[in-house]
Amino acid sequence: MKEENRDTTHFGYKTIESNQKESLVADVFHSVAAKYDIMNDFMSFGIHRLWKRQTIACSGVRKGHRVLDLAGGTGDLTAKFSQLVGETGQVILGDINDSMLKVGRDKLRDLGLVNNIEYVQMNAQALPFPDNSIDVITIAFGLRNVTDKDEALRSMYRVLKPGGRLLVLEFSKTDNEALSKLYDFYSFNILPTMGKLVANDSESYRYLAESIRMHPDQDTLKNMMENAGFEQASYQNFTGGIVALHRGFKY
Amino acid sequence: MWISVLTAVTEQIVNRLITLEPSLRQDLRDAEHRVLAVTLTDLNLSCALHYNGDHCFVYGNYLDSADCHITTALDTVSELKDPSQLTRLIRANKLDLQGDIHLAQAYSKAFSNLKIDWAEHVSRYLGDAGAQHLVNTIGQGKSRAQKHCETFEDIFTQLCQDELNVTVHPLELEQFKSQTRALSQHLSALEQRINALD
Repeated sequence: MKEENRDTTHFGYKTIESNQKESLVADVFHSVAAKYDIMNDFMSFGIHRLWKRQTIACSGVRKGHRVLDLAGGTGDLTAKFSQLVGETGQVILGDINDSMLKVGRDKLRDLGLVNNIEYVQMNAQALPFPDNSIDVITIAFGLRNVTDKDEALRSMYRVLKPGGRLLVLEFSKTDNEALSKLYDFYSFNILPTMGKLVANDSESYRYLAESIRMHPDQDTLKNMMENAGFEQASYQNFTGGIVALHRGFKY
Repeated sequence: MWISVLTAVTEQIVNRLITLEPSLRQDLRDAEHRVLAVTLTDLNLSCALHYNGDHCFVYGNYLDSADCHITTALDTVSELKDPSQLTRLIRANKLDLQGDIHLAQAYSKAFSNLKIDWAEHVSRYLGDAGAQHLVNTIGQGKSRAQKHCETFEDIFTQLCQDELNVTVHPLELEQFKSQTRALSQHLSALEQRINALD
């Protein structure tokens, strides 16, 4: 599932010019931002909360840490990290899409989480932070939307402090044939219909299903992390491999 | 994934207890922003508690470093309620503790001191009289059940002891068998002598 060459990339099953992907992905997320949380619960039957819980358990976030929740969207992880890092720490909710950032900011402010969170619109391929300045980076269900994943991983490696870690929570590949067939049926038939009914947008959810299929599998992503410089890269599968959590360290 | 469900439920319960019993916050002050990890060897399960001064996070499959790491078996967990038992359990090799023992003692003390005023909390829904009546009834039911359990335990113990008295000991049975065998041999010898006299 490698990008075809330096000038083209995938947008779902379509091959497009690399410079078009950002705006096409942006359109998708502008369209779904308002209903993002409710659709997440609908689509995953609430299981995305368990995947995120396990991500937090593996993050090793402690008081005083500086955490970057990349492609943080509506701030599910940021909300927890904000409580874990305390007043002396900081959480940066970063997203390339301003609609998602606005939804996330409003949600977190409604929860009373205001003291230690910063909202930054940023591109994962060119993180606007100094070298060695972040303790933990998480990117949950965001990496597959990035145009150049290798460049993004290198950028994350650059800003991490030595001893810091990256956690990538992302859809992946299941090796169970029966589950795979069921999942395909669900993704290409039920998911767009749900998108149409709840968010009045079936195309964005068709893109979601296609982009998941085009995303690198577990071992490929692990190799990509190692190539970017991460050490002790490993992954754990959730729900039969439908989702995987990759973890890598910078020493 | 079941471990995530379990820790999510546990987290809800612990945080509900923190809301219901304000003194728990005071008791857990020493545990603030520190991680207590527990590994249950028989279940091959590792979890951790992280209290941030307001909210307690419960993690499953915890693999990171912790300020205090307890390794023990499931049946020993109930004994951890008493902070004074920790040293005894370590000496008895029932518990392995690495890190700051005070953190384990802080959690142990906090949860053993838990005395929730249920009547106060239930009174919001049932009124003072109804809540008090409900709490009293549950309390009486609990002590009655406890009493029944103790009585049943006593009867069962007594029955076992009585049965022990009437049951033939294996050694006695062996002795009886050997005496029977000897008597049978004597009888055969006597029979042969009588036959010889004929």
